[in-house]
Amino acid sequence: MVGAAALSTMSAGATLSGCAPSGPASGMTILRPEDVELLRALTPAVMKGKIAPGDTARIDQTLQSFDTLMVDLSEPVVAGVLQAFDVLNMGLTRGLTTGQWSAWSKATLEDAESALARLRDSGIGLLNAIYAAVIRLIISSWYLIPENALTTGYPGPPKKVTRVAPGAAPVEEVTQ
Amino acid sequence: MTDLSRLTLGSTTDPYNRAAERGWDITDASQLTSSLELEADVVIVGTGAGGGTAAETLSKAGLSVVLLEAGPLKTSSQFDMQERAAYRDLYQEGTGRGTKDGGMVILQGRSVGGSTTVNWTTSFRTPPETLKFWAEQMGVSGCSVEEMAPYYQHMESRLNIHKWPQTPNNNNGMLQRASEKLGYSWATIHRNVRGCLNLGYCGLGCPVDAKQSMLVTTIPGALDNKAKLVHRARVVRVLRDGDVVKGVEAEALTPDVRGTTGQKITVRAARTILAGGAINTPAVLLRSDVPDPHGRVGKRTFLHPTTLTMGIYEESIDPFYGAPQSIYSDHFQWQNVHTGPIGFKLEVPPLQPAFAAGFYAAAGEEITQSMAQLNRTQCMIALMRDGFHEQSQGGAVEIDDKGQPVLDYPISDYLLEGVRRAFNVMLEMQFATGAQSARPAHKQAKHYATWKEAKAAVAELDVAAHKATIGSAHVMGGCAMGDDPKRSVANCDGKYHHLDNLYIMDGSLFPTSIGANPQLSIYGLVYKLSTNLLSQFQA
Repeated sequence: MVGAAALSTMSAGATLSGCAPSGPASGMTILRPEDVELLRALTPAVMKGKIAPGDTARIDQTLQSFDTLMVDLSEPVVAGVLQAFDVLNMGLTRGLTTGQWSAWSKATLEDAESALARLRDSGIGLLNAIYAAVIRLIISSWYLIPENALTTGYPGPPKKVTRVAPGAAPVEEVTQ
Repeated sequence: MTDLSRLTLGSTTDPYNRAAERGWDITDASQLTSSLELEADVVIVGTGAGGGTAAETLSKAGLSVVLLEAGPLKTSSQFDMQERAAYRDLYQEGTGRGTKDGGMVILQGRSVGGSTTVNWTTSFRTPPETLKFWAEQMGVSGCSVEEMAPYYQHMESRLNIHKWPQTPNNNNGMLQRASEKLGYSWATIHRNVRGCLNLGYCGLGCPVDAKQSMLVTTIPGALDNKAKLVHRARVVRVLRDGDVVKGVEAEALTPDVRGTTGQKITVRAARTILAGGAINTPAVLLRSDVPDPHGRVGKRTFLHPTTLTMGIYEESIDPFYGAPQSIYSDHFQWQNVHTGPIGFKLEVPPLQPAFAAGFYAAAGEEITQSMAQLNRTQCMIALMRDGFHEQSQGGAVEIDDKGQPVLDYPISDYLLEGVRRAFNVMLEMQFATGAQSARPAHKQAKHYATWKEAKAAVAELDVAAHKATIGSAHVMGGCAMGDDPKRSVANCDGKYHHLDNLYIMDGSLFPTSIGANPQLSIYGLVYKLSTNLLSQFQA
């Protein structure tokens, strides 16, 4: 998804320049405390119009969905995503790649938007790839929550019942 | 507008509900508490279009067959049309598979039935131009249009492949209208369905078994013929004794197929058939360290690199409902077969919300405002026909230090020229049919209000890898068939050039991309190869 092989060099540099990455954050299976801080800052920018910066309930719900999505991906993909997060989290590479020199917890909505735009518009393909992966994961996490999918004009899928009488017609229309 | 959420579907059709009664031999490798050793006439690695077809053909003739599948057995009783579970359970790497530098996302199936369980049912015979190119330029023999015809006919009949008789949904209808308006050729797609309810959830597993995937056709057929199916079993390598292949060694995966349990599965067989698809088949060969004197294994892997545009209309499109693909246009496909700019096929994809959001590859209000109008959104896709021109050599499958496959597919300027051209073609088609705004799949693009504005913007866009959104749902090649061992991996019977008793029977045999959705090309070719293999046993 991000190009794990290409990322390993840069994130190794990021790791050397900062502190070592930690284990999962409380309540998360894969996302680490520093990833949670990063995603709290980026999510309202990526989902602008749906999530306001102070809307912790919606941000937390999206992060939980993100963590579940990470569990559902493969080990090499997760490794690549975490390496991308290392680049965005560690002081020096964070500042150089996104212009965010203070911690993500201090970032405003405008800071987050500016960081995303720098990654998107960079002449370095690897940063464009990080941008593509991060926004895809955040927006997928949000729209994978069934109630959010319904905000698109999508009425939802048909209802599936697993047990019906043998010989019953495969479809019946339920009148309201 | 349509609202299918009021429908209730039962699952009376799941053939696996009667597995015990029918005497089917199915093993879930994740539940093994000791190693498993099996013997068979034939072991088949993979249960997709290739493996399923080979399994039915060989077992029907009375051969003992073992089928190994790395993915889980998931059947229609579990297909509830929810995106998250489908992407988690039915796709390679939970839809996270991509190329080495992240330039392309790759959608490939990973459950019993392989990609046929999640494909959109579009069925084309291998185009005559492609077969001619293989014969004239790629050293392929025995695969002319005339020679292949009976094999396609057989599989079309087996899988009930027929021209879609119902009215296309508006997503497809817009492709037809645009083609008519602009004077482009178009036609109706053939689909492998029986009793299709026109719901639109082919990509999430058909909830009513209307799709004639391997999961509900050839694999039940093979199980009826006493084939054994072992799922959640990932093949690590082929076993060999000198130049003779003796079977395969596999490892049992955990119930979520993300880890290993430590149990081993060994299958000894007179013939070994690799059918894991164009990424996993070369990966098994590379892990097995097979002789490859000309360095051809995993080379020339093709993807039909695909890009898209989104158009928002005043009328309802409901692109999440209805047969996903029913109309196509080859107007820009065959102007030059192997000279000149890259050709592309025009189709549309189904747009369930999370899938559509991922396709958009946008952020901020550009994505949230666009997605709020998904029910009025039409999407065009252009599938680039890679592997014909000398500047289109495709990618290479490698294995990493853990033995996991990685596909290195550099995005060339030759390909990117096609992406920009396709943006223009598709945007013009959307505006010609009344789109209020349209957007090419490029991270720096936005919705443009007129064709004039869009055309000017596309001319200025930096159409580069990572900035333009390019994906793939068709992985082909990497183990090319051909008569010349210097240029190919297998001969035209699918036999590995440098080892005995080892066969390849999947889309990895294709020496170029197909130039059309590949499932029927795999069915037809593998039906031919597996029929030929039978004669060895009958001799």
